[in-house]
This record gives sequence, structure tokens and C-alpha cells, in this order.
Amino acid sequence: MDFLITTLLNALTLISILMLVGLGLAISFGLMNVTNLAHGEFVTVGAFAVYFVQSIGGSFWLGLAAAPIAGAVVGCILEFAIIRHLYSRPVSTVLATWGVSLILQQGLELIFGIGAKPVTPPIEGTLDLFFTVYPAYRLILIAIAMLTLLGVVLLISRTSFGLDIRTVIQNREMAESVGINTRRTYAIAFTFGAAIAGLAGGLVAPLAIVLPQMGVNYLANAFFVVIVGGVGSIGGLVAGSVFVGGLTSVLNYQISPSLAQAIVLLAAIVAVRLRPNGLFNGASR
Amino acid sequence: MIARDRNWLLIFAVCVVLAVLYPLFADGYQLTVIRDALIFGLFAASLDFFWGRTGILCFGHAAFFGIGGYIMALVTLNDAIPFGSQLGILGAVTGAGFVAAIIGYFLFFGGIRGSYFTIVTLAMGVICQQAAVSWSSVTGGDSGLIGIPPIEFDIGGTHVDLSQDMPSYIFVAAIVAVVVLALWSISRGRWGTVLTAIQDNEVRAAALGHNAPLRLLVTFVLSAAIAGLAGALYVCMAGLVAPDLSGLLLSTEVIVWVAVGGRGTLLGPVLGAIAIQRAQQTISSFNPSLWPLLLGCVFVIIVFVLPDGILSIYARLKSLFKGRRRAL
Repeated sequence: MDFLITTLLNALTLISILMLVGLGLAISFGLMNVTNLAHGEFVTVGAFAVYFVQSIGGSFWLGLAAAPIAGAVVGCILEFAIIRHLYSRPVSTVLATWGVSLILQQGLELIFGIGAKPVTPPIEGTLDLFFTVYPAYRLILIAIAMLTLLGVVLLISRTSFGLDIRTVIQNREMAESVGINTRRTYAIAFTFGAAIAGLAGGLVAPLAIVLPQMGVNYLANAFFVVIVGGVGSIGGLVAGSVFVGGLTSVLNYQISPSLAQAIVLLAAIVAVRLRPNGLFNGASR
Repeated sequence: MIARDRNWLLIFAVCVVLAVLYPLFADGYQLTVIRDALIFGLFAASLDFFWGRTGILCFGHAAFFGIGGYIMALVTLNDAIPFGSQLGILGAVTGAGFVAAIIGYFLFFGGIRGSYFTIVTLAMGVICQQAAVSWSSVTGGDSGLIGIPPIEFDIGGTHVDLSQDMPSYIFVAAIVAVVVLALWSISRGRWGTVLTAIQDNEVRAAALGHNAPLRLLVTFVLSAAIAGLAGALYVCMAGLVAPDLSGLLLSTEVIVWVAVGGRGTLLGPVLGAIAIQRAQQTISSFNPSLWPLLLGCVFVIIVFVLPDGILSIYARLKSLFKGRRRAL
């Protein structure tokens, strides 16, 4: 029973992070058709923001507030300087964003130096959960991630900006002809996705090894969350995260992490072959 | 089309002449440097044969390079296997092609195209690298396998031993020239024309009776087999194989070589690979951590300034001079 609940909570931690990282990709890759290979670096930037704030004496919570802002700034600059010029050239976007990803990685290494950066969690210790004891910080992480996701759902389904986004996604030309500024909507949506990924990086910083190269690990998994889950719905995002995150956590108990990663990606490829439109989406796009 | 063919053959001939003359002016070390650059050029040409002809980007091409390298290493390191070099190369080519056939079958017949294909192949590269790291009883894990012997075989009574700089340079240069010429004649012929039709409009090409998934699959397998050949050649020249050879970084580097040289030209990627590796050595000797930064900048600049690669400079200059002449 202990073991089961611990596995479940571990899986939930990973799933929450994947959902936050995947959300930005679902917007850029799934909806705007921009293959942004620098998305992993938004996570890195968020983690480094927490490290930086802590290293100058700030608290973890201040760092966590800085993380999405750092992600948003980098994302906004990237969209403005590069991506908006390449919406009609998908392959060029792949090359340019990979270049940006290398520049960001190396830039962070030049600024902060080589080696893993320590980030201390705001709360040490464990919480007694009736059935089992579990690190308290991980429970907070899960709660923040869930609340963020809820906020995003409300934003998209209840506000006028959410309505704009949904309109632009469904038909860009039509949205433009009814007076929606699609360029602005894209820019805001992209920046928003980057901010959420930055938040994910900040949340994961105390648990992960904070390195300039850490983003790559999240990139491939997040792409599979989006592809496996299917594009265009929060439900798909959740389904994809549960598939990738759940399988990874379960396998991590049995075999080495690198083999687990390989098997999860293989399973994801098979899932994509069997359900090209995603686990969740019945209808084709 | 005929004029463009003549241009291509002209540039190819110039390159062959330069490759023949090069040993006269180079010492042993420089020969090995250019030899290794040529092997990566072959690898770049193999990616270009698929990417340039179909417009579909494979982001895990180093997986095939690595598979070829590991097969070659395992065969030649096993003393029980006779004709190690020949069987190793054969195994590398068929092994890489076989893996490409399985993955390609799943993807092409499953209707996966465009950026979905790119992402799945990206994962394929990651999988291969992880497998090479974790399957340490066979692959040697993180440190890889060392002590791979140079290629040697008997042909027509003569013993060919590629442990020396000069013979290995000639061998590699000849293979690259022959393969690039072969790929070019395939892609300018009927096969290439059909691939262009599929790239332009797959539904229409299928309506005309072309089996589009099969064509893409065969092209992909051929491209992977040549990448495997390049991997096999590389590990014999370097004497070692490591997980990096199937990793993400090499996959992205080969894409830069193709993009810099000019996608769809087959010759451009080879030149791009040589040029960039020379630049990498110069810059790395100056400051090693600067190289990834510059590589990233090259990616971004290429996309905006030279979307058709360095070979397009020739075409641009030509049209510039033609324009001048007409103006006069």
C-alpha cells in the first residue's frame, strides 16, 4: 500500500511538471504549428532564475515568482526577433530555434559557469499522509501545478482573450477578418506558454540537477506529451502527460533511467502510429 | 535543367580535381583531418538525399551513423569473424537500413509527415544514445569501445591496408565521390522527379498511381544505409566508437552542414561539412566553449541570410553578372 501510494505521488509529480511544460508546446507546436526546439530552455531559464534569486539572498518563493517572468521575457524576445518572421517556413523555424537553444545554453554556461547549481527547497522534511510519508515540497509542487492548470483552463474558457485564442486557432484568416489582431494574439500566447514553462523550471529546480543543458530532457518528453495526447484540448494534454509521466515513473522503479526513457519514447512512437490524432481526440483535426 | 546539370557536374569536377591535388600540398596530419571531414561530408550527403528530395527533416540521422559505427566496431573487434572489414561494412549498411525500414514503415504508412516526423526521429536519436549508454555489456556504456582496427582487405591479389594516412585518404575520397555521384544521378532521374511530385502534393502524386509511402520509405532506407556506411568508415579511422556518435548533437550538426551547404544539392552538404569542421577546429583551438555559441548563431544567420546555402552564392553571382551584362 505504501509503495503504491508513493509510486502514485511520484508519478503525479512528474505528470504535473510535464503538463506545465507541455502546455507551452501545445500552444506553439500544436496550435501555431511552430516547432520550437528552444522550449526546453524556458524550463532552464526558470530554474536558473530561482538559483539566481537564492544566490543573491532572496527566498525560494521570490525566485519562484521570478521564474515565469524570466521565461516570459526570453519567450517574448524569441517570438519578436525570430519566430514571427518564420511562421510560413516551418523547417527554418526548426533550425533557428535549435540555434537559439544552443545560444541560451552556452550563454547560461558563460554567465554562471560549468557545473550543477544548488537550489534549496523552501520546506524540508516529510508530511504524514495517513498511509505513507512523502516529501512535503513535492506535495506543494503538485498543488501549485494543478492550480496553474486550472487557472489556464479558466483563462481560455472564460475570458475574452481566451475566446480570441480559440478563434485564431480554429481559423486564422476568419479571425483576422472579424478584426482580431492574430499577430498580437500569437505573440501573447507564445509568451504565455514560455512563462508557464519557466514556472515549471522554477518548481522542479529543488528536485532536479540545475544545469544549462537540462532543458533537452524536458523537450523530447514534452513533445511526446503533445503528440500522444493529441492537439487542441486540455484533455489531450492531460492524457499525454499521464501516459508519458506515468509510464516513466513506473519504469524508473524497475530499470535504469536511460533505458526507461528509451522505452517510454518507443511506446510513444507506437502510440502515435496507432492513434495519429492522439489518445484523447476521436475526430481528426 | 540541362544547364543546371552542367553546372553541377562542373562543380563536382572541380572538387574532384582539388581532392586529387590536395595531397601534394598537405602533410599527413592535414590529410587525416580532411579525410575525417570527408566522412562527415558523406554523412551530410546521405541526410540531404532524403531531406533535400522529400522536404521531410530527419532529426535523428546520427542514430544511423551510430548504428553503423557500433556494428562495424563489434564485427571487427571479434577475432572469430573472418573478413572483418568487409563484413563489418556490409553489416553496418544493412543494419542501419534495416532499422530505418522498421521506423520508416511505421511512420510513412501511418501517415506521419512534416514536423511530426521530425519530432519522432528526434526521439529516435535520443533512444539510440540512451540504448548505447545503458546496454553496456555490448556497447561499453558511456566510454564506448576502443581499439577498432583500421580497414584492410585483399582485392585482386593486392593487399589494401588503410592504417596509413595516404591510402585511407584516397579510399575515403573515392567512396565519397562515387556515392555522391550515384545519389545525384538517382535524384535527378525519374525517381527524384517522382519524389519532387510527392513533396509538392502527395495526394495528387498518389492519384497518378505513385505509391508515395513506399517511395519515401525506400529513399529513407537508402539514406540511412549510407549514413551507416559513413559511421562504419569513421569508427575505423578514429579507432573508437562512443554513444555521442548516435546522439542529438551530431544529429543537429549534420543538419547545419546540409543547411549551410545548400539543401538538395548533395555536393553542397559535403562542402558545408568540410568548411564548418575547419572553422570548428580553428575556433575550438582558440576557445572551446565558444564553439556551441557560434554554431547557434550560424543556425540563426543561415535561416535569415542564406536560406539556400553556400552553393547558392554561385548562382546568385551568376545572375548578378548576367543582370549586369544585360544592363550594359
